[in-house]
Amino acid sequence: MHEVSIAQGLLDIVIENCRKQGYSGIESIKVKIGKAAGVVPDALLFAFESMKVDTIAEKATLIIDQVPISGFCNGCKSNFTVDDAYVICCPHCNSFSIRVDTGRELNVDEMEVV
Amino acid sequence: MKVKVVTNILEANDRIADENRRIFQEAGVYVINMMSGPGAGKTSLLVRTIQEMQQKVKIGVIEGDIAGTDDAERIDKLGVPVVQINTGGGCHLDANMIREVLPDMPLKDLDLLIIENVGNLVCPAEFKVGEDIKVMLLSVAEGHDKPLKYPLMFQESSALLLNKIDLLPYIDVDMAKIRKDSLSLNPKLKMFEVSCKTGQGISEWAQWLETLVKK
Ligand SMILES: Nc1nc2c(ncn2[C@@H]2O[C@H](COP(=O)(O)OP(=O)(O)OP(=O)(O)O)[C@@H](O)[C@H]2O)c(=O)[nH]1
Ligand SMILES: [Mg+2]
Ligand SMILES: [Zn+2]
Repeated sequence: MHEVSIAQGLLDIVIENCRKQGYSGIESIKVKIGKAAGVVPDALLFAFESMKVDTIAEKATLIIDQVPISGFCNGCKSNFTVDDAYVICCPHCNSFSIRVDTGRELNVDEMEVV
Repeated sequence: MKVKVVTNILEANDRIADENRRIFQEAGVYVINMMSGPGAGKTSLLVRTIQEMQQKVKIGVIEGDIAGTDDAERIDKLGVPVVQINTGGGCHLDANMIREVLPDMPLKDLDLLIIENVGNLVCPAEFKVGEDIKVMLLSVAEGHDKPLKYPLMFQESSALLLNKIDLLPYIDVDMAKIRKDSLSLNPKLKMFEVSCKTGQGISEWAQWLETLVKK
């Protein structure tokens, strides 16, 4: 699945970052993955484990911070957060007039380096 | 030591997609990224669409498949330029794969480039390749639960073709539910009911497409 591309993408980013800043190894990498981003965390972990071999991230653990879908409802003027991978209407008042603020993240957040 | 990075993982792909898009715009070609689960009828729709529009619109095709050249051969028979990409296991096309085959496409001679993505309802929706719009197919035999199970593709697409409607008498599928859930996920989604077997609905779709291309 495309978790392989995502794992490659995040490795490229952290390795390039280390090369530029002169760090020699990575101990952990924290990523923020939105629940609506279409990424399966276990598949991403698996892909990462196999792809980090022979890179400066070889010893790194991947920490996945899953970001739920949240937003604001124009109907009842309140914030909402849902557990699903999609949102159709406000979970409080069922209004369709909503603004989605989080849930599509696919970001490297931070890393611990030596 | 902790270091903040805060970079979008797809940034590299998106940058190349933007470059592709600039190339397409300069050549004056409209680009569709066509997506669906395996076997929903993308190649069949391409064949029908080319036959319907060939006289009026100059079309080129990029075929994405994990392996094989069957789909490209079906298109080649129609006499339109076609390039096959084999992803060798990869479940989607990315912007870089498209960029690499662009030299093989006579972009300046084309009005419309259709990219048939790898058959997969999940991953292709996440990777931009430089397209103007994404279009998806769902064959009615796949069932009415698909929009809510694979929401991202429905949200990202500008048009949804409900294909294989010739099979409706033989299957239990709630078309109203597909329409309702799809529209809930994406109120702007344009929907067409088609059969690539009988040709039903193809001209409506082709007319809609032609107005976009000619814009
Ligand atoms: N009954 C019926 N069969 C169809 C229709 N459209 C396509 N098919 C059949 O469905 C099968 C798959 O069609 P393709 O066009 O190859 O589907 P695809 O989406 O390109 O498949 P992949 O590229 O392998 O993902 C073929 O056997 C087609 O003949 C249709 O409208 N009705
Ligand atoms: Mg095909
Ligand atoms: Zn509300």
